[in-house]
Amino acid sequence: MAVEAPAKPTLADKIYDKMFHNYVWKSIFRTGYPNTPRNQMLVVATNVFLHLHPTRIHRTHVKVTHTYCLGGLSFFMFLGLTVTGILLMFYYVPSVERAYLDMQNITTTVQFGQLMRNMHRWMAHAMVILVFLHMMRVFYTGAYKPPREFNWVVGVILLVLTFLLSFTGYLLPWDQLAFWAITVGSNIAGSAPVLGPKTRFWMLGGFEVGPESLIRFYTLHVIGLPLLAAIFMAVHFWRIRRDGGLARPL
Amino acid sequence: MATTVVARPVARPQARARDEEVLVWPDLVFIEFIAAMLFTITLFFLSVVVNAPLLDQANADVTPNPSKAPWYLLNLQELLLHMNAAMAGIIIPTIWLVILGAFPYFDRDNEGQGVYFGTDGAVKITIIAAAIGFFGTWALILWDSGKVAFFLHDWFRLSGGDSLRFLESARSMQSQLPWPDWSREITYLPFNLRILDGTGSGGPTTFQHLDFPGWLVEQAIPIVFIVGLPSLLIYGMWRMGLVVTRRDALLALFGGFVASYGVLTLTGTAFRGQGQELVFPWELKVSEGIPGQE
Repeated sequence: MAVEAPAKPTLADKIYDKMFHNYVWKSIFRTGYPNTPRNQMLVVATNVFLHLHPTRIHRTHVKVTHTYCLGGLSFFMFLGLTVTGILLMFYYVPSVERAYLDMQNITTTVQFGQLMRNMHRWMAHAMVILVFLHMMRVFYTGAYKPPREFNWVVGVILLVLTFLLSFTGYLLPWDQLAFWAITVGSNIAGSAPVLGPKTRFWMLGGFEVGPESLIRFYTLHVIGLPLLAAIFMAVHFWRIRRDGGLARPL
Repeated sequence: MATTVVARPVARPQARARDEEVLVWPDLVFIEFIAAMLFTITLFFLSVVVNAPLLDQANADVTPNPSKAPWYLLNLQELLLHMNAAMAGIIIPTIWLVILGAFPYFDRDNEGQGVYFGTDGAVKITIIAAAIGFFGTWALILWDSGKVAFFLHDWFRLSGGDSLRFLESARSMQSQLPWPDWSREITYLPFNLRILDGTGSGGPTTFQHLDFPGWLVEQAIPIVFIVGLPSLLIYGMWRMGLVVTRRDALLALFGGFVASYGVLTLTGTAFRGQGQELVFPWELKVSEGIPGQE
């Protein structure tokens, strides 16, 4: 049996070798491109971003039509909204005097400002829709059943938090659409029996939508609710792993 | 001995079937990457083409007509047109969220998970429940807006005359029936009950008189419909032999919910014009509310 002699390294091989097998690169990515099953598992288990996953997964769960990636995409929208949101925060001051002017500046004079704002808005709508569809997927695959009962509850809480995140962001442009939508929305909250008027007062920081409401909604939108959502998301993702991954037939 | 009292989960995760497993890298990570890229690119192009709306600066003195909440709350705003505000805006959504959260505590059977639908009648139940939710919600909206009576009269020259006018909508039962005066103020609590000082909207909270016709129209009839129709749906399908397990009952409930939630959101968004009048989407105009300018 003739053994093939190893081919002489070409120029491309040498460049590749210099780029990816040098001391600095290897200090960052220890395993190199994972092309053996062992390294592929290692890269998932040891990478801080990938280790949310198990190293191996049941083959029915990688079929796109099983999950449609809806939960993952909801989380991805959250990340995208964080990035575009931070960029918008550079230009936006939540005061009645400045908010609307800042919005006009973002859409006219800030480079890519209009694009960032559009991305933020459409991603927010997409997130609401994706979270709802994710809930439908989980329901229709019976994935709320034991042992995943509590994770379904966490999911319902995350659905509410998604609505609240979107709702608090709605006021920030301080245009007619924002102002009256929040007026209508907070009137709905104010109609609650017994606690309604107080709730509405706490929410708006007054009897009507005004400067106090703007700073409240802003603070909740950029720090309060995202933190809360992040905590619940951490529990949500952790519980998926603890409860044995995605649901599959017994 | 202390180790024996460690709490055990009621249901333990399934044993892994290692020979059925694939590697997360590359099989899953690449799919996630492609999905994320697809969404990034789609939303990027959407953002290039369609600008987010920015109207005139907020002005408390200028009320646009109609004023609408964000689209995902328009289902509640739609409900608000048909019943008591506290019920539509707070009580019903809160109770529904609690029911939704309690799904897994009602259906505790772990059979049928991990596959779509999962029971024999599941697809049928979903289709029937969704169809009933869809058409039922539309029918109720059309009836309560008085459009059914309007169509009957306009297209078929059918009219019940004045004696049947109270059937035109829920609200007309309050105005078109000969309610005696005492029924509009039934004292059921002989003292003034103050629960919280009514900061914000007018005066102390009193619970002493009941306006019976108003209560009937704003609370009783909507409760009967919202509780009764889904119950009837599940009961009917149970009698027909479609709903067998608790999972089936939830499928019927959830299917009906998704359909009517969709209809309510759609109606609130695209079919409610000035004064929250029911109109076709192409007739929908928003008046900016600036005086002298319609």
